[in-house]
Amino acid sequence: MTTSWIETQLTEYLLERFGEAVQPDSRPGYLGFLVARNKLLEVCRSLRDEFGFDYLSSVTGVDYHPEPFMEVVYHFYKSTGGSALVMKTQAPRDNPTVPSLCSLYPGADFQEREAWDLLGIRFEGHPDLRRILMWEGFAGHPLRKDWREPFFEEDAKPFKSRWPEGHFIRVEDNNPYKNNVSYPPDFDPGKWVPDKDELLYGGLQSFEEDSEIKTERIVVNLGPQHPSTHGVFRMVVLLEGERVVDLKPVMGYLHRNHEKIGERNTYLQNMPFTDRLDYICSMSNNFGYALAVEKLMGIQPPERAEYIRVMMAELTRFLNHMFSIGFLLNDLGAFFTPSLYAIEERELILDIFEEVAGSRMMCNYFRFGGVARDVPEQVLDKIKTLVHDRLPRKLDEFERYLTHNEILRSRCEGVGVLTPEQAIALSVAGPVLRASGVPYDVRRADPYSIYERLEFDVAYGIHGDIYDRYLVRIEEMRQSLRILRQVLKDIPNGPVMAGKPQFQVRVPPGEAYGRVEGPKGELGFYVVSNGKPNPWRYHVRAPSFINLTSLKTMAHGAKVADLVAILGSIDIVLGEVDR
Amino acid sequence: MEVSLWIEWVIKSLFIILLLTGGFAYTTLYERRVLARMQVRIGPNRAGPFGLLQPVADGIKLIFKEELIPEKADKLIFILAPVITVIPALIITAVVPWGESVWVFGREIKLYLADLDVGVLYLMAVTSISVYGITLAGWSSNNKYATLGGLRATAQMISYELAMGFAMLGPVLMAGSMRMIDIVNAQRSMWFILPQAIAFLIYLATSLAEINRAPFDMPEAEQELTAGYHTEYSGMKFALFFMAEYIKMIAISMIGSSLFLGGYHWPLPAHWLGGFAGPINLFGKTVIWMFFIIWVRATLPRIRYDKLMQLGWKVLFPLALLNVAVTAAVIVLVGG
Repeated sequence: MTTSWIETQLTEYLLERFGEAVQPDSRPGYLGFLVARNKLLEVCRSLRDEFGFDYLSSVTGVDYHPEPFMEVVYHFYKSTGGSALVMKTQAPRDNPTVPSLCSLYPGADFQEREAWDLLGIRFEGHPDLRRILMWEGFAGHPLRKDWREPFFEEDAKPFKSRWPEGHFIRVEDNNPYKNNVSYPPDFDPGKWVPDKDELLYGGLQSFEEDSEIKTERIVVNLGPQHPSTHGVFRMVVLLEGERVVDLKPVMGYLHRNHEKIGERNTYLQNMPFTDRLDYICSMSNNFGYALAVEKLMGIQPPERAEYIRVMMAELTRFLNHMFSIGFLLNDLGAFFTPSLYAIEERELILDIFEEVAGSRMMCNYFRFGGVARDVPEQVLDKIKTLVHDRLPRKLDEFERYLTHNEILRSRCEGVGVLTPEQAIALSVAGPVLRASGVPYDVRRADPYSIYERLEFDVAYGIHGDIYDRYLVRIEEMRQSLRILRQVLKDIPNGPVMAGKPQFQVRVPPGEAYGRVEGPKGELGFYVVSNGKPNPWRYHVRAPSFINLTSLKTMAHGAKVADLVAILGSIDIVLGEVDR
Repeated sequence: MEVSLWIEWVIKSLFIILLLTGGFAYTTLYERRVLARMQVRIGPNRAGPFGLLQPVADGIKLIFKEELIPEKADKLIFILAPVITVIPALIITAVVPWGESVWVFGREIKLYLADLDVGVLYLMAVTSISVYGITLAGWSSNNKYATLGGLRATAQMISYELAMGFAMLGPVLMAGSMRMIDIVNAQRSMWFILPQAIAFLIYLATSLAEINRAPFDMPEAEQELTAGYHTEYSGMKFALFFMAEYIKMIAISMIGSSLFLGGYHWPLPAHWLGGFAGPINLFGKTVIWMFFIIWVRATLPRIRYDKLMQLGWKVLFPLALLNVAVTAAVIVLVGG
């Protein structure tokens, strides 16, 4: 009740103060406000400073192609909890320029770069507007609706060549050897000189500091082939001795334009595709996407399905945190023992996923309005034994070995510190945010599914260092077990699907932002529908990607060895970072 | 007589070198099996019974691998560096006695290669040389990771050598001699681990740092510097670095057993089995010592570089110095 009162007040205030510049978005199915471009910064400043919307969750663009404008969509939240405030601003399609929010919300940095890279929206005032997922020199902006890939077939699946007649074309047949590249008209590969990444390296020497010993600084590329970058991630590091002076992350080596493919797919085809984002926790990805589309469709899964969903999400959280702590220790130089101990537990949880969903990692288990299959009774018994006996025992064992280890503490305490203010400003999410002393958990702050009825505490740290992140993860695993115990006790009988299962769902036009507290942080899906079988826009707010914004802040002044541990403590999965 | 003595020396030297290189191969297997068991795995068990042929397979693989030399590397030093690293490792154990003497073919053979009056000094001198190999390897590769690894190695080894030297002085003072045989024989009644417990612990820590083993494996810290100083090495040259590391691991265990654990004395009286009980004793102690080193690797994360230097200079070095002073004073007061 109070929130709605505040919202009405906010609407009135905004309309009154900014007059014509702020309009409620009146399109059917849409929420929030349309803000004029030139007033955007002013409106956002007053939102942040006067109304407490200090957490910019997601920034993305939408191309409404035949119409002559592009739209940038902002989702603001309060770090104290509550629902979203959606702001949109429109720019002409031929020269889309929007003021950058980086000065107010530093967390917009990577997201604005992504919108520039994929949609070609210029952000004026952005400190470092380079491409982020594609390489410099890529022709065009692939998420624009009129951009077409080589061997383009159709705008939407299923392609007529393959369905309903059942013919299919192998992409290799389209792609004869040596004839498989098409160059832009003004480009001659013979004359191409690789640039020296001046944009990237040139921005590095910016830190000027007084130091007594004048030593030469060296640039080291940690990655893309490096044992501790958890995949193909590259950090360009400026070192002074062993001290990190400046750092720039370079990503996109695993980029496959998830969002463009997602826009081609039908709604249901995207479900298995979300598994591939953060391939460690596919269940949580399913959850987020299902929530977003269910919001659009206006359906509610039956009770039993909700319980099963929460059960799977919490098991996923447990296995992800196990995994991430194991590999954090690996990054600290413990030779694989902790990670293998962790993986042993993970395998047991994957066994359950296999029995439930048919697959260990790529579960593809959730459906709009429920889950794909029911959980058999004997699997429930198996989960019970795990949750009541094995997992808590192993968690205690982990703590006994690690938590008070001298070396672990000396390596982790006070390293990679992120203050609460920085964490909120940088839009960091998940255990990293909570370890900084901001007890923000989507499950509590903006509850979804049945989390409102469940009893659990939000784990949070105080110091914001690596050690607190480790402790937060341990505590979150305990809370997950607590949730699982309640869910297992109360799970009702009944159907697991609302209505009939269907291949083609009807999604009314509109937009929706579904977010869940994934193991790595706030995982959001922004879906725009125009009533067709395929989403018009499908955007993933990837927590690992946005958490990386804070890497530079955390790494400044750290040692090389710390840098690796800091990266490990953010817990990234490159499938999600690069999308 | 002269000629036969020469032949004896040559045979003994060859025996030691072959033993060490063979020992190196099986140490890798030993380590992999023990690590695997500690990490709830099985480890290599396919090649031959219990995986006993695994080192052979690895050796063949390494010999036939392509040797890459980076274009901008300093080629001479690049090739020389592994050699400089491996030779000190091979000659280090020359002064370590394995037993008293045995009768073979009607000839009494002393179970040590060299009986130097300054045995301990020799150990210190030779272990210091191998740091050159590592530094040069890091520098000549013309690679940033390698350079950082090489620099770390230099700093680490130099700072830990001091403390290690002082730790070795404890047994030397107790035995009143620098000859290894005298030190071992002085432990007939009591191992030096008891009166020199502090020196023993310091030796344990510093020797791990000296051979770049976890948790002091800074120079090759995989997670930070990919492979440190040997990033650019491949094939047999890489194997030589590997060999040096593992042979030094054996050597450090042998030296430690001799200095603190009574060497070839106990549990079997050294003159049993026609004198062969001595080598068996030493072998057993070495294997246990190496098990400890592997155990540490499976257990502990790496210490950060600057903390490592702090530990070396601010804790271990003063402690070792104090230990030497106290030992000397006690010996003068009690024994004098």
